Amino acid sequence: MADLRMPEQNKVFLAGRLTRDPDLRYTRGGQAVANFSLAINSRYRDSSGKRVERASFIPIVTWGKIAERCNSQLKKGSPVSVEGRIQSRTWETRDGEKRNTLEIVAQRVQFLGRVSPDTSQESEEEGGTQREESTGSEKK
Amino acid sequence: MGGRGSVNKVILIGHLGDNPELRYTPSGDPVANFRIATNRTWKDRDGNQQEKTEWHRIVVWRKLAEICSQYLKKGSHVYIEGRLETRTWEDQTGNKRYTTEILAEQMKMLDSRESAEQLADSPPLTQDTPDMSEDDVPF
Repeated sequence: MADLRMPEQNKVFLAGRLTRDPDLRYTRGGQAVANFSLAINSRYRDSSGKRVERASFIPIVTWGKIAERCNSQLKKGSPVSVEGRIQSRTWETRDGEKRNTLEIVAQRVQFLGRVSPDTSQESEEEGGTQREESTGSEKK
Repeated sequence: MGGRGSVNKVILIGHLGDNPELRYTPSGDPVANFRIATNRTWKDRDGNQQEKTEWHRIVVWRKLAEICSQYLKKGSHVYIEGRLETRTWEDQTGNKRYTTEILAEQMKMLDSRESAEQLADSPPLTQDTPDMSEDDVPF
């Protein structure tokens, strides 16, 4: 094989449904941050070859314009696909115990379903057109 | 892979921060743990280049766990493909805790030469190692 120098990568692709409404806040500097969590069903075979289905709940964080759009257009149950990177954060509990949390920083969010009956036509397309930061002007 | 309507895919390329630690569950299943570092660079508001290292804890089960512990070591450059999974467990005080883990389903070694030669006689590491020559055929 050719001696390719591989770049470092940290990529995540997820599609699932929101487990709760997005929680939008603003940093002191005025940056929007939205947090939500995605339920994702996985199917695999266990060690005995049995088919297992289980749900994972993955915390997502989005920033800026994407955060605001997620907050205004998504709610509990909305189907979305998320592309982003993994970030782990260490924080301390009240008792001073150190905990590590893994979350996905979304760089791209696609809305996969209809949000409400009166939304624009584009959002009714199954599979969702790409509606992240570049499409900010289509909504008034 | 994801279940109905779900996608759950993680792709990481980075270097191992420690040697894989191989253990066996009470039922005899091998599990390996190790950490991978990826670096992220970006420009801050003032245009200064910033860099941050992200550490990812990887969990690998069964056959692939044994392969990882046999061939990977601290510093190894690897490609990991897998999924995210949340696990619930109880801490000492009986509180339910959630942990999100990266489960590796495929691993490719990216260190060239020596390690590649070392591996020449070993079984394929993944079930679907791409055959590069096929990519050269247009149709």
